[in-house]
Amino acid sequence: MPTRLHHRVVAALRSFVHRDAVEHELDDELRFHLEQLEAHQVARGSARTDAPLEARRRFGGFEQVKEACRDMRTLRPLEEFLRDLRSGVRLLVRSPVFAVVSILSLALAIGANTVMFSVVDAVLLRPLPYRFPEQLAMLWTEDPTQNLREGRSAHWNVEQWRSQSQSFADMATFDAVSKTLTGADEAEQIVGASISPNLLPLLGVQPVQGRNFSTEEAEQRQRLVLISHRLWQARFGGSNDAIGATIVLDGLPSQIIGILPVGFQIARLDADVWEPHTISEDRETRNSVRGGDTWFVVGRLRPNVTFDQAQAEMSAIASRLNDQLPAADRNRGVSVVPLSRHMVGSQSRLALWMLGGAVFCVLLIAAANVASLALARSVGRAREMAVRAALGAGAGRIVRQLLTESVVLTVVSGLIGTLLAVAGIRLIRAYGPGNLARLNEVSLDLRVLGWALVISLLTGMLVGLAPAITTLRRDLRPSGEEGGRSISAGASSRRIRRALVVAEFALAIVLLVGAGLLVRSWWHVESIDAGFRPERVLAMELSSPSAFSLPAQRADLYHRVLEQIGAVPGVESAGIIGDLFIGNTREQVLTTEGDNGAVSERLRFQRDEVSADFFKALGTPLLRGRFFSVVDGPDAPRVAIINDAFARRSWPGRDPVGRRFKLGPRDADGPWYTVVGVVADMRRQGLEREPVPQMFESLAQNPPRSVDLFIRTSTDDSLAMAGALRAAVRRVEKHAPIYGVAPLEEQLGTYVAQRRFQTSLLTGFSVVALLMAAVGIYGLIQYSIATRTQEIGLRMAIGAQAGDIFRMIIAEGLTLSLTGLALGLVGAWWLGRAGSSLLFGVTATDPLTFMTVSLLLTAVAAAACYFPARRAMKVEPIVALRQA
Amino acid sequence: MARPADLLQGTLDVLILKTLTLEPMHGWGITLRIQQISGEVLQVRPGALYPALSRLEHQGWITAKWATTEAGRRAKYYSLTRAGRHQLEREAEQWRRLSGAVTTIVDMA
Repeated sequence: MPTRLHHRVVAALRSFVHRDAVEHELDDELRFHLEQLEAHQVARGSARTDAPLEARRRFGGFEQVKEACRDMRTLRPLEEFLRDLRSGVRLLVRSPVFAVVSILSLALAIGANTVMFSVVDAVLLRPLPYRFPEQLAMLWTEDPTQNLREGRSAHWNVEQWRSQSQSFADMATFDAVSKTLTGADEAEQIVGASISPNLLPLLGVQPVQGRNFSTEEAEQRQRLVLISHRLWQARFGGSNDAIGATIVLDGLPSQIIGILPVGFQIARLDADVWEPHTISEDRETRNSVRGGDTWFVVGRLRPNVTFDQAQAEMSAIASRLNDQLPAADRNRGVSVVPLSRHMVGSQSRLALWMLGGAVFCVLLIAAANVASLALARSVGRAREMAVRAALGAGAGRIVRQLLTESVVLTVVSGLIGTLLAVAGIRLIRAYGPGNLARLNEVSLDLRVLGWALVISLLTGMLVGLAPAITTLRRDLRPSGEEGGRSISAGASSRRIRRALVVAEFALAIVLLVGAGLLVRSWWHVESIDAGFRPERVLAMELSSPSAFSLPAQRADLYHRVLEQIGAVPGVESAGIIGDLFIGNTREQVLTTEGDNGAVSERLRFQRDEVSADFFKALGTPLLRGRFFSVVDGPDAPRVAIINDAFARRSWPGRDPVGRRFKLGPRDADGPWYTVVGVVADMRRQGLEREPVPQMFESLAQNPPRSVDLFIRTSTDDSLAMAGALRAAVRRVEKHAPIYGVAPLEEQLGTYVAQRRFQTSLLTGFSVVALLMAAVGIYGLIQYSIATRTQEIGLRMAIGAQAGDIFRMIIAEGLTLSLTGLALGLVGAWWLGRAGSSLLFGVTATDPLTFMTVSLLLTAVAAAACYFPARRAMKVEPIVALRQA
Repeated sequence: MARPADLLQGTLDVLILKTLTLEPMHGWGITLRIQQISGEVLQVRPGALYPALSRLEHQGWITAKWATTEAGRRAKYYSLTRAGRHQLEREAEQWRRLSGAVTTIVDMA
């Protein structure tokens, strides 16, 4: 015996699957009723001729009854949805130009939004891969009198903080170290990390294999090491034998005790070997340092402690500690910075939100354009809607149909946009700025796909809403007055379209002004003199093997390497410096001899060692005195070349050549240096940062363990010489690790990569926005002329000249674009101040940018109106009036 | 379109179910039967009847089958399902209570 459920399912499925048959039956059934009714009328005495009409009248609306029956079906909503879907697709196929233009512009906008979201999500939104990452903070030493922010700290201070603080559950220290890994055939330079044993437990990170080292093992200075997942794969092929194996670091064996998880990093330190922080050779001296040193500090807040509370407590501790520090050091503070904020600085954050906002504006403009097109079409479809209403479709039903149609459009766009996004994400990962943290985590995952879906649907709603509203506002009576060719056709839809065009222009202006300001900043950055000429220069890093432990041996090594390289054909000059690109400089005490005797002061200062031809190879001009030469050997008096910033600061208005200075306070043990030359300032911390005072001493007098080599070549493709240069070094010392071979221009490029990234993206977005706005106004004017042909004909018939018509049309277009321009300028002015920290050498209200953009936009709007206006001039009054 | 029967939607359902207890019937037959039994008081318009039949069928109270009439014309015959019978009992009971209550109030002295 069939159950009720069975009957219900059969009925629902039958009317859904065998829809045609069911419809046919319904028709038959009602027709049968009508026939019977007719016969009944005849039987009751109606005239045979009147009977059919009478039966019809009594029966009621045939189609309405059918529609009411259909409404009772269980799967009716699904059925309607599918029908709307089909009609949506048919509609698109029927007007291919509209479909292609709309889908392409929406797909581009959705694709760009998806890519941008994937970046924002990976870089800003997703939590860091540690346990309770929101409790983690970086702790920095700062000294306002030295303009020192985010300075690294000394071990002694960290121990004091740790024991006195209530806010922090624990604090750990780490530092990056360069390590030489000696393998079977070749030595390799790798990034190492020196970490306190509590770092991994503090972060909540477990080795995937093996274990962490203990506090006791660290105290005993055992040579234990954890290695990265990457090194594990490369060296050991991911084999379990790695645990317990020995690797040779800086010439000494270390035992591997653990493998870290894939991609493990801390505060952008992505090292291959992680050692106890106690191993370094100068441990004793470093432990006695108070104030600033080189340790990074990360702390974990206790539960329910805020960063503000922690900051307040740390400031109090720091001021207590100041009393125990040397007199020159008593202005130290501590700053507590959430780890997530440290990872991505406020500038990058701002830039990403700005780009995200910009690309969303592009989507809004694209949606406004498509909505405007759909509105224009909806006026033409007024009759269709009236007929549907007459056949029993309610207002809600018609709105649902229009929304479904536009959602079809945007979902198709969304699919294509997602494909574009896949390509876009590849591009971003390949060419995005490498110094933007976590960019390597960008991927097309479910969250990103979800976002693409959400914005597609929302866009569909936006696009469908305008036609739906105007359709509802219009009477759905079948009179079709508005659907006819009357002058007032679609008056309300034209108002909405005008508003859309104004909004498009306003948004485009905001983007253009932003892009303009960034481009101007970019020009400023590009025109900065770096203090050296990077073109045709090849850079490489060179480490001295551990056998070269004496300074004299290293000096000799570097001397012979330079000799060999100089002999390679195509090399113009070659030089060596300890480290060309520097991060935050350390502050130190400096004593200089001036007119009024020796003065000691503490300042941020950089000290390096250079070979004789270094400045020549880099093209840094000598302002006074001389370069180094062979006379500045190990036994000669200590001499120094200083940069202009140092000269200006310590000997303002005087010739510093011949003056003396020493590192440390007046009574320090160090030697006095005599200034022999002054060179131009080199921007070694990035183009946008003012150079700090710098000194260079002779490489022969103090050769470091690893150096940067710069070779000026006579060929534009300096990288092509890498092989010959490598061979030249190998001839001197077979085991010396060479790495980081790259053209200097490329290395310099990473400094401006982020600026280039944001500038080119925003410029691209704003150009697309401008083009879309131009298409929008063109479409509107074109349509407005099409619906006003009669009016124009009439005007011409009563004496208007072609020029008058032309001016009328242009005026209409310019009114809209200028309104948008005014609104956009206000918006740009307001937003510009919020983003002013992204600018360089230009103010957020730069009049030149605002004026250029205004002119550009007006020109584009005028051009977009010009062609339809020309066509309007050619309207033949007779033809136009006949159409009436 | 005004449909007076809409007000009595639940009532119409009971009438249809009750009518079908005797034998399977087509829509026109149901119309006639209700009209006859009620002494021409109740007129069921197609605009109310057919949507009601469609709903009852989708609710699983009745089921439909095509068959030939006495005059040799094919028509759609509706018959009560077992669940429909129970439903009728429930609705009839409810109707009695309701109409009894209304009658009591209307006849109050």
